[in-house]
Amino acid sequence: MKQHISFLRRQCAAVLCSLAAAASVLTLTASADEPYDVYNYNRLGEAVPSHAGYVAERSVSGTDLGTGAFSSPQDLFRSADDCFYIADTGNSRIVKTDGDLTAVLQIYDSFTLPDGTRTRLKNPRGVFVSPDTGRMYIADTENNRALICEPDGTVCMEITKPDSPVYDRDLTFLPQKILCDSAGNIYIVLSNTTKGAAMFSAEGEFIGYYGANAVARTAKVIADHFWNLIASDEGRRHSNRAAPTAFDNFDIDSEKGFIYTSTSSGASDTDIVKKVNPEGYNLFGYLSDHKWGDLFSAWYSGTTYKTRIVDLDIGEDGSINCLDQTTGRVFQYDKEANLLFILGGTGDQLGTFSSGGNVTAVETKGAGCEEICVLDAGKGAVTVFTQTDFGQTVHTATDLYNRGYYEEALEPWQTVLRQDGNYRRACLGISSAYYNMGRYRDAMKYAKRADASWVYNRAFGRYRSEWLRAHLNGILAGCVLLLAAWIVLKQYRKKKHNRQKGGAAA
Amino acid sequence: MMDLTQPQWVRHTVLHPFEGFEDLRWKKGGTLKYTVIIIAALFFSLIANDRWCGFQFRPLPDALFSVVPYLMRSVVYFLAWVVGNWAVCTLLDGEGTMKNICIYSSYALIPYIISTFINVILSHILVREEMVFFAAVYYIGLIWSGLLLFSAVKAVHQYTVTKTVMAVLLTLFAMLVILFLAVLLLSLFQKVYVFFYTLYTEILYRIRV
Repeated sequence: MKQHISFLRRQCAAVLCSLAAAASVLTLTASADEPYDVYNYNRLGEAVPSHAGYVAERSVSGTDLGTGAFSSPQDLFRSADDCFYIADTGNSRIVKTDGDLTAVLQIYDSFTLPDGTRTRLKNPRGVFVSPDTGRMYIADTENNRALICEPDGTVCMEITKPDSPVYDRDLTFLPQKILCDSAGNIYIVLSNTTKGAAMFSAEGEFIGYYGANAVARTAKVIADHFWNLIASDEGRRHSNRAAPTAFDNFDIDSEKGFIYTSTSSGASDTDIVKKVNPEGYNLFGYLSDHKWGDLFSAWYSGTTYKTRIVDLDIGEDGSINCLDQTTGRVFQYDKEANLLFILGGTGDQLGTFSSGGNVTAVETKGAGCEEICVLDAGKGAVTVFTQTDFGQTVHTATDLYNRGYYEEALEPWQTVLRQDGNYRRACLGISSAYYNMGRYRDAMKYAKRADASWVYNRAFGRYRSEWLRAHLNGILAGCVLLLAAWIVLKQYRKKKHNRQKGGAAA
Repeated sequence: MMDLTQPQWVRHTVLHPFEGFEDLRWKKGGTLKYTVIIIAALFFSLIANDRWCGFQFRPLPDALFSVVPYLMRSVVYFLAWVVGNWAVCTLLDGEGTMKNICIYSSYALIPYIISTFINVILSHILVREEMVFFAAVYYIGLIWSGLLLFSAVKAVHQYTVTKTVMAVLLTLFAMLVILFLAVLLLSLFQKVYVFFYTLYTEILYRIRV
């Protein structure tokens, strides 16, 4: 009966993927004590129950820290020297705590300008600390400026609206998020342009825009382009301009120098997450149609609920942690954009967040992403998730696998598969390991289990040539025997035929 | 002369693309029983091609298997061909009866079915890089069947070559029309069903309230 039901469900999923998947997410039962459904996506894009890679450990609010409640905090940043910076937007201050989020180290609400005057922040929405210089970069949104200051609170540079022909004169300068690369270039996400992040040199000079999203290739865009080809200049001037969606958050992999951008707009499905190199080229271009976050949107009460990636963080192991504003979930991907874990949700318990798009920032900690911190502006608290044993094994295996140590990854993958038989990447990992070890039969078996015909094909090819080499003598002997039998049979038939013919003549 | 049993007729028509069907017609051979068997074989060959092939060629995962497309590609297409051909050729002075069109057309499909089964066996031996062998077998079967089908139409209606070409093209068009009408009819029935079902729920609701 149970099988029957699951069969029916699978059938439904094939026909009505979106609805069925949305429903099955809702009907999953959590495998552990998490107050949310722990699931993962299988190869067909169906949500299947999974083991938790992370569990919520504690929640830290402003009151817990003794700074007074946070008011709509918009950004969380963990510096290279393991301190947390919280942009407490509503209270117009930056709170610096230690790496365990237990003690407040400093509260920045006013700064000393180079001319000696004091200045206060006004609704700062972004904070960043350079790993090289230790300087603090603040997107002081409502003051229409960005501040770069020393850890002691003296401002070394103030960036305001650039006076450049490239920058639109009518555009207000509203910095949302800010970061700098190892060369000291400053990147600022503005909320009111689709051209990309404003890029400034280390001296504060406006260079241009950086890393804009591509326009989604919809039928309408293509049709407009076609009409523009044959339209007159006058007509062209009045035609629709195709504008991309703007990315509204980013993070930098300081070691490698790549900037990862995230787009929370639901208007487009392309370039939700980009990996941009210093030249501004998107290295995730081949993933432009990759579905980040939940694979299906849900519709109820006339509203569409789809994933909106509001922040991302690149872990020290290269994992991409995306925070979904709609569902309060963190989607963790490895550096090749393979989904590892899904954690979090909406609710009132520890590990869930207030609904209505209130989660604002995500940060990770540790060489293997041992902790994930999520900032909830609604509750004004940071929730700390810690890795489970299962999560650690998956991370170890993924890391070894992505670096090409297939055989070394075999054992962790086997552990993963023992604990979660649905974990497809474990099957792929084991298959690759056995392939490298020359155990092609086993490689085929696990490729089959992972439903990966390309991987199977590779192992099968090797297995076939091995088999042929081992049985070559037998095959040749068989061929010779068959040939001989055929000749004999032919002779025999001929004789019989002649005899019959002879008989008829007589 | 040419006193063949039914299985021998099948063999004869398949192996003699140009004269086989003329002989079949002349001796009034062929039987509907084989048509049923051949169409069933076509159905199973299509399924085998997707489900029994070597895993390296498996086109879709087990969970997504549905029998409907295979029924569509074998039985429904064949019936549409037969009906379409009969309808067109009746207007074009064809001599074939519905029964004969069924028999002749189905015999013509045999090379395609056999090539499909050969491919199923080959798929357990070959790897993806050697797909060209696959394609070779497939196209031999397809072209052979196409030739047979042409010759079958020509023989069953006693047409010239040019008229056969025209008849085949018109039949393909007729098939499109038939399938289009069938879809229309199905959706109409569905609408009628939904209408009565809505009526039923509405009445239930009124009774309760």
